[in-house]
Amino acid sequence: MSDTAERDLIARCRQGEDGAFRELVDQYKGLVFALVARTIRDPSRAEDLAQEVFLKIHRGLPYFRGDARLSTWIYRIVVNLCASERPSRDVPLDAGDEERPAWEPGGPDRAYGDVELRDRLDKAIRRLPAHYRVLVAGHYLRGMKYEDLAEALHLPMGTVKTHLHRAKRLLREMLEEPRPGSEQRTANSE
Amino acid sequence: MTCDQINLRIDAVLDGDEAWTSDARAHLDTCSRCQSRVALAQGINRWLPQLPVDTPPATFTSGVMARVRRERWRAEQALDAGFNVAIAAGLLLIVAGVAGLAWSSGLIVVGADVVALMREAIAVTGAEIAPQLPTYSVAALLLTMGLGVWWWTEHANFER
Ligand SMILES: [Zn+2]
Repeated sequence: MSDTAERDLIARCRQGEDGAFRELVDQYKGLVFALVARTIRDPSRAEDLAQEVFLKIHRGLPYFRGDARLSTWIYRIVVNLCASERPSRDVPLDAGDEERPAWEPGGPDRAYGDVELRDRLDKAIRRLPAHYRVLVAGHYLRGMKYEDLAEALHLPMGTVKTHLHRAKRLLREMLEEPRPGSEQRTANSE
Repeated sequence: MTCDQINLRIDAVLDGDEAWTSDARAHLDTCSRCQSRVALAQGINRWLPQLPVDTPPATFTSGVMARVRRERWRAEQALDAGFNVAIAAGLLLIVAGVAGLAWSSGLIVVGADVVALMREAIAVTGAEIAPQLPTYSVAALLLTMGLGVWWWTEHANFER
């Protein structure tokens, strides 16, 4: 969405035009839902929380000054709401996941290895600490730029990159053969 | 250069934020453990953007709009209730004023015992209210200010 179209949409929302707000929801529901679903531990709460994000947007639009891009502001709302969500009991880890052999690069059946890596990666993300999950979801799954993440989180861009590197290292360690201590570290880091 | 030192840098190097030193390169050329870690990191980089993304259900937007309408309705109800109370209080004051005026100008004749009873009632109520008078005054002031701000925002909305 171009900057002009975005400003126009915000102005119409502020005038109380329901149709404009509906357009805004349609425009950003994919981003909001994907971020919320990846960040919280309990997937059954995703829809309710994602709707709550839009209620906050609706209440906050009169005060949105337009310094940041709308998507950046929305990302910040998602982060704050997910942070305030009381962490439910950890999603049970896939039984037997740790017993699977470690991923072998360039092994005899690479295609199978790759598909398996994707599945295990998908699960491993859910075991990351929440502040890494929301960054990984924003950057890698929804293509948000480093600078937008930094602005939304009020962090220097270097810190955002460092957090993403650490998140990927944790993922790597979860996918590697279980070594004493590696499981404990991920379990204790939250 | 140790495997742990390499391990800490792999993701930064693959993201182009750091570069391998010659020491690190020499280690990587001979260490299968680190080579395997680099390959795994490359696999993660390849797959992360391709992971399935959760999508909202088809009813999502209508659900949000229903909640927005419900919230607006609740706010309007609260505002309406406040107005009704204010209007009732205003009407009561007008009626009391008109009655007082009619009584003082002799249009209404009230017996002496009724007047005495009313005086006593006013005195008793006054004595009860007097200690809390500052609280009532502040509450009245806040209510007036609140209604004033509401009127102002409504007015500003019309102007826009
Ligand atoms: Zn090594």
